[in-house]
Amino acid sequence: SNENIQFSWGKKRAKGGAKMDTQFYGSFTFDNVKYSLYDCVYLFKNGESEPYIGKIVKIWQQNEAKKVKILWFFTPDEIRNFLRGPVAENEIFLASGDGTGLADINPLESIAGKCTVVCISKDERNRQPTPKEQTVADYIFYRFFDVGNCTLSEQVPEKIAGLEVNVLLNPKDEQVICYPDQDVQGMDQKVGAGLVAPLPQSAVKMDEIPVAPLPQSAAKMEDEIPVAAVPLSQSVAISLPPSVKEVDKAQVAAVPLPLAVEEDVPKPTQKVFKRTENLTTKNMPSKKLKLSQDLTTQSMAPVPDVKVRSVPSAQQTTRQADRSKWFKPQPWHGKLAQADKEGRLVYIQNLDIRFGASEIVELIREALQLSCTAKPINHPTYDDPNNGKAYVVFNSRNIADEAVMKINSGLVVGGRPLYCSKGLLKVPKPASGALVGHLTISNQKMNPRQREEQKKAVSTSHCSQPNTIEYDLALDWMLVREKQAMKFSILHKRHAGERKSFAAKMEK
Amino acid sequence: MATSDEQAHEDRQDIKDEQLAHKDDEQAEKEYADFEARVRRTIYIDHLSPLVTAQVIKASLAQCANVVSTEFIQNYTIQYEIPAAALVEVDNVSQAQAAVDLMNNFPFMLGGMPRPVRAVFAKPDMFPDRPRKPGLKVEFSWVKQGDPGYDGMNKLKGLARRQEAENMALIKNQLEEEKELAAQQQETLEASNSKYDMLEKLITDGDITKLAQHYKVKLGDD
Repeated sequence: SNENIQFSWGKKRAKGGAKMDTQFYGSFTFDNVKYSLYDCVYLFKNGESEPYIGKIVKIWQQNEAKKVKILWFFTPDEIRNFLRGPVAENEIFLASGDGTGLADINPLESIAGKCTVVCISKDERNRQPTPKEQTVADYIFYRFFDVGNCTLSEQVPEKIAGLEVNVLLNPKDEQVICYPDQDVQGMDQKVGAGLVAPLPQSAVKMDEIPVAPLPQSAAKMEDEIPVAAVPLSQSVAISLPPSVKEVDKAQVAAVPLPLAVEEDVPKPTQKVFKRTENLTTKNMPSKKLKLSQDLTTQSMAPVPDVKVRSVPSAQQTTRQADRSKWFKPQPWHGKLAQADKEGRLVYIQNLDIRFGASEIVELIREALQLSCTAKPINHPTYDDPNNGKAYVVFNSRNIADEAVMKINSGLVVGGRPLYCSKGLLKVPKPASGALVGHLTISNQKMNPRQREEQKKAVSTSHCSQPNTIEYDLALDWMLVREKQAMKFSILHKRHAGERKSFAAKMEK
Repeated sequence: MATSDEQAHEDRQDIKDEQLAHKDDEQAEKEYADFEARVRRTIYIDHLSPLVTAQVIKASLAQCANVVSTEFIQNYTIQYEIPAAALVEVDNVSQAQAAVDLMNNFPFMLGGMPRPVRAVFAKPDMFPDRPRKPGLKVEFSWVKQGDPGYDGMNKLKGLARRQEAENMALIKNQLEEEKELAAQQQETLEASNSKYDMLEKLITDGDITKLAQHYKVKLGDD
């Protein structure tokens, strides 16, 4: 549960609900990060390596439950089938229209962190961002994806989710900027002084940083109730990871500077969101994760009692619409074709047949430190269960090539050496004619109406009765099928035996 | 080594840690348990006509089971034309049993004759969207060039490839057998049909009585 994670309410707004038991808010502080209405946040879905990005559009508490309504952003990957035109590397798309996938209500505790999303639309209602804002932003957007009719558009709608679009575009003041270099300097000073300097996420104002004793530097210029919930007497956890080099490495050890003793201690390999230190080098790590505080290890030296902090998201589940099932028909099918065209599709063989998509994603993440989506594709009737096959889609052609090389160089999973190649397998188009074995009688004597009736009668399902020719013919088929099943069973058993004895021989 | 105080503190933290991890595991276990329940009430139908839709399946099983959902299996791996197949979820296990029994005890025609469909109980690895199986360890190691066992691993890969080829050959063989049977049956059917047509013609034209007289055979109607 969340008892140990810091939380406090910010500005109150209206009261509501049938029994007037709901209190709406304009802001809150969670895990020492201040969130306000219309801030952009990350949310995790259980089992997925990539977080979702959304905008907080409503905050409230009803009885004991704290909830937020999140308006979603889509990554280019999620709407690949509907994308047209060039896409910037950190471009995302704001949901609009009506229907599944526009917005969801989630427990407040499922928020994993803050991010900056800047709108670069030229619409007059959108305050144009400064070049600096654009550079430091985690993501940019200028297009909207209508979830109702699955269309992409640059046109700014009047309202989204019942809100005037103005509040969803760039905020009037230049607030959400972070100047990491200055952060670092400030931090060094503070660390040296042995003081705690909470600098959670990117939404830290420049002016606040050098003021060491301020508990929550996220107190904004405007009239907000200052977040007094984090006085220095309490433990303030900051995430100060070692410098990050690898782009795809999603695991960063977080190091807080606690003053009190009681702290939540997590596993060291939790993912934590931060900002990269060198934005000058235009580092875009795996499209999503950025680091907020990036201190070199030497500044860590004076810090006592170093512990690793857990990420709230790892403990909670986000109840969200299952986005993978939205865009029918057969979203995977289109995704695969597209991925193959772009060279991002890899065909892996010799997996354990029990591995599902999540196991494969986990394997790729642990063994190669790469993120991907996967789908097991064995055909239950025909494929040999000794050899599990799957399609895996990576984020770029280069990454896919790299993965193939690495896997083929000797990745062994549970004693099974995997092998893989790029590209879709050639399969015939799904048949559109009648099944082999479904016979028709060509009879010229019938008039068209009789023919129609006969056609209908044939296609009605039924059990074959023993006194018909149909029955005899059907029995032929059942016999053939039984023989087939037996042949497959014998072959697959033999294969399993061969593999076992081979493995045994190798042991020696 | 840390002091005993720190050690005790570490232990407390570890316990907390495990409790938190436990929650995650509980969630995964529940999800998988739900999945397994779904598997138990799903049947796998194959030798299915590509023309059959979910509606047709629902209607045809209505006599013994209420179909909740139908998922057709995509062919990604077989390079030949194969019959369709589907995972059909019904209300409960007894309905699933009833459906399987029905389709196994009698040749069941779905969308065409005379080739019947086949139904078996579904298994977890038939579902492409199955959730994470709790307890299934994803363990891996690297055996690269120069490592001991590298040759062995390569041989294993070769074995796997050979087995795949064997399997594909068997599939090809089966499909050809089926085509032959279908052709043969079509011939038989047409032959029977023309025989019956001929008989009918004789009766309606009255030629049958002439034939009967010629061969001195008594017709049943006399």
